[in-house]
Amino acid sequence: MSEKIIFWYGCNVLRHGDIIHSCLDILRLLGIDARPAGGPDYCCGSVKDANQAAADGMARRTVTKFNDLHRARVVAWCPSCHAHMNGFMGQAYRPEFGLTYFVDTLYEHRAALSALLKHPVPMRILLHKHLGFNDKVAVNARVPELLRLIPGVEVVEDGYAAPGYMCASLSSVPAAMEDMIRETLRLVAVHRADAVVTVYHQCYRELCGLEPHANTKTFNYVQLLAQSMGLQYEDEYKAWKKAGPNAGAVIGKKRIEQVGVQFFERALLPELVKRPLGLDPKPRSDPNEGSVTGDG
Amino acid sequence: MGRQAMPTGALQEFLRKETERILGACTKCGKCFEACPMTRYSPQLPGADSKAVATGVLGLLSGGEGSPEALAWASVCVRSGSCVPACPDNVDPKMMMRIARMIASGGLGGPRRIPVRDDRDYFDRVRAFANLQLTEDEIRDWM
Repeated sequence: MSEKIIFWYGCNVLRHGDIIHSCLDILRLLGIDARPAGGPDYCCGSVKDANQAAADGMARRTVTKFNDLHRARVVAWCPSCHAHMNGFMGQAYRPEFGLTYFVDTLYEHRAALSALLKHPVPMRILLHKHLGFNDKVAVNARVPELLRLIPGVEVVEDGYAAPGYMCASLSSVPAAMEDMIRETLRLVAVHRADAVVTVYHQCYRELCGLEPHANTKTFNYVQLLAQSMGLQYEDEYKAWKKAGPNAGAVIGKKRIEQVGVQFFERALLPELVKRPLGLDPKPRSDPNEGSVTGDG
Repeated sequence: MGRQAMPTGALQEFLRKETERILGACTKCGKCFEACPMTRYSPQLPGADSKAVATGVLGLLSGGEGSPEALAWASVCVRSGSCVPACPDNVDPKMMMRIARMIASGGLGGPRRIPVRDDRDYFDRVRAFANLQLTEDEIRDWM
């Protein structure tokens, strides 16, 4: 009988539909019955550190909703959600479920996963690591092990791990973000890596801009697992980042109207145009240079 | 028989108890500050007395204003966790700094003492990306 779990994907990974869909396919192919749950209505509340009354209500709401789904296990995609459930929400309220991080679920099923990884992905990879969360789940050791199950993948050995949980936490300290980007690019060159591969979605959001702006290929590890399994979900977010100021044309008028033209231009487009911090000054011929300046 | 609804406020109560535990356990040795990889990103912190910074953080936790150095440290904390194994007293300095940040950002009712990015579009942006990438059925059933 297949294990029934809740796949708690979180909020910000909703930028990457291909990652969510791939995770669900992977879980299904591993024989796990996954009920997806995420978005603002299942938010952990960790983004509300400056408003603990709101964070408290969100924690209570989300634990209650998971309890009401009556599944024995929640598998979390987002490290912030996982850490916040273990360290705060689950300490304050009464979860009636166990909590596992997605990497650990894959690692537990790595023999079955290996059998599904049939298509070679010839690539020399620099894994982008962080210091935070690795004390909760040994992601910095386990993700390379998972990636090495893919035929053709070579993961270079490198000890650098950026501060913080995910790159997004560095956005409040721009100099640290700049240092991380520069060091990442330096290591790509030193190791002659073909690509940078992230563990977390927020790092992927920041670093996939290296592809159009620094000619450095970037992936999330799940995208490579999916590729080796023959899953074919388009990485639309990267396509939008590559399109930069022309992202609206790639997305299409109908979808832009669904989210609202003004909202798209004010709240989404600046992120898609944004150039990673820490890069050398833009060449004059940069095709992604547009009038929208980004949000920092 | 149905489950009893959980009363709200438990998270803030948990934070209050954690604050008490930390105030009782920390010996202000400053090893957490010395282990932090982020202190070089604040002009106020290189060369600062680590014991004094830790004392300032505890002052913030106990309801005081916190020293400028304690607030500067809270401003650059990104939860690297390097402080945790450095602590000889099992205080969990990562939790200490998280609560210090909550307090310094006005999250527990006091004044805001450090810069906080207010992103009014945060959740609407998440919903918009979901609308661009998920089907109507997926949004209805998953979110």
